[in-house]
Amino acid sequence: MSRGRLAKYSLWQFRDFVMEKGISIVIIGLLWGYLQLLPFRMSFSPEMTPEVITRLVTLLAGSLVSIAVLIALNGIISTDRKMGYYRFMFSKPVSPVRYYAQLFFVHLVGLLSGILLLATVFFVVAGPFNIWNLMLYTTLVYIALGGIGFFVSAASRHDWVTLAAVWVGARVLRGLYGNGDDWKSKAVELLPPVHKIDTVAGSLIATGTAPVQDVMWLGGYGALFFVVGLIVLQRRSLAG
Amino acid sequence: MPAACNRRPPSPLVIKFQNVGKTYRSLLGNSVKAVEEFSLEVGEGEIFGIAGPNGAGKSTLIAMLLGYLRPTTGKLEVGGLPARAYVERHGIGYLSELVAINPKWRADRALVRFATLAGIPEARVSGQVDEVIALLGLHEHREKKIKALSKGNLQRLGLAQALLRQERILILDEPTHGLDPVWTQRFREIVGDLRRPDRTILIASHNLDELQRLADRVAIIDHGRLQRVVSTGFDQQRDSITRYRIVVASGEARLEEVFPGAEAGGKGEYSVIVRSIHELNTSLADLIGRGALVSSVVPERSVLEQQFREAVGEPK
Repeated sequence: MSRGRLAKYSLWQFRDFVMEKGISIVIIGLLWGYLQLLPFRMSFSPEMTPEVITRLVTLLAGSLVSIAVLIALNGIISTDRKMGYYRFMFSKPVSPVRYYAQLFFVHLVGLLSGILLLATVFFVVAGPFNIWNLMLYTTLVYIALGGIGFFVSAASRHDWVTLAAVWVGARVLRGLYGNGDDWKSKAVELLPPVHKIDTVAGSLIATGTAPVQDVMWLGGYGALFFVVGLIVLQRRSLAG
Repeated sequence: MPAACNRRPPSPLVIKFQNVGKTYRSLLGNSVKAVEEFSLEVGEGEIFGIAGPNGAGKSTLIAMLLGYLRPTTGKLEVGGLPARAYVERHGIGYLSELVAINPKWRADRALVRFATLAGIPEARVSGQVDEVIALLGLHEHREKKIKALSKGNLQRLGLAQALLRQERILILDEPTHGLDPVWTQRFREIVGDLRRPDRTILIASHNLDELQRLADRVAIIDHGRLQRVVSTGFDQQRDSITRYRIVVASGEARLEEVFPGAEAGGKGEYSVIVRSIHELNTSLADLIGRGALVSSVVPERSVLEQQFREAVGEPK
């Protein structure tokens, strides 16, 4: 019963994503793409080889997809808490855990739609490349980064700042202690595997394959935090 | 000490607070007790009021009833289930004190969304939305965005979403907050029409007059504790010694003869103290018999107001 009504409500969730986040992601993507493409066009004009286009897509996607995921996940749970929107929604016979789990996947579909649109524009303007590989990469980054973002949004009202701090902090700490053999180096291994995103991006977008261990680590890390986020939602008071 | 009325209602129990406490703790370790050792039973078919000064714990109690907060101690059951489990299974019609709906949504579409979440079959959603829009007089505002609605209209929209489904439990927190006198009156009629033997309505309000008119019983709370539960119906023993305001169109001197301690308030208005309803009626009959024209007789304070002041004290 609850699943049926939630499935119907997913259309409203998708609509909200498009209006509140999707349009912003597409506009940022177009501007970002234009700014990156312009110098390439001037350097390699008029022809760009498939290798150059793939390199360019990797460069663009490396930053744009992470930013798009941050935008997509920003306030996914915390906004309803902060603004008090949860009061009317969850006085209805609806489970908040199921509602937000569904919202997480609706945002993934929305994000993929936005990236597909941007990729299509890029495909037409710059030249052919493998859009499917880009979609795979986007999905992986969404699960890796988004899973952590989902958890942070379930646990904190200041999710965007917290997530950005975790992300930057992980990079900085790994840069400082990542290459040693002491306990600090082992401890930073437990931090979000942000550094792996860069290596996976090049490989996944260019060839459609990536080291299984890296993909599993990234996906598993995000999936674990997504599940922890659901547990937090189940246990934590909505009004707390 | 006036008689309290915290006896178990004769109808099946719907809401049961058993020694419930709620303590808010900050990250720095500070704690505030919002509700303490709160026990209360509300039965099916009752219209039950909750009254208390600001910060008394009304909103915390309501948040616990909806499962938005968990009690720190004690046990709370709604329909025999833990509160959140009840809401997720059956739903509760709820109007919050602050009506918070995404300001970018359109009023009628917001209702369609809530109807979808409430599980109203798709074929009936449109009809149900039209019905509550008509009931709350929102036709001309239905296509407006939430941010364009006035406070009163937003309050009516909040009430509309609470009435979308025929819920067995309705919780209305400060329901007339922001409504003009016309809609305040209309709201009372709507609540009167909502009374059903299998429906329980809980109203939290600062407006004692409103609770006196609408509720069967009212819980007076202060500092997170239940002070007393008052039946709003007439209780000969409890309500006997009280002060009345009597207005006479003529015969002011006669009134002072019949009620020797009467205090004149001007324009034929007097404040009198009687020890019983019987004394009031006898004295009034005497006054009218002496040729005075009585134009109104009202208790200076409603039963509830009197009880509230006794329980909570005079406003500071």
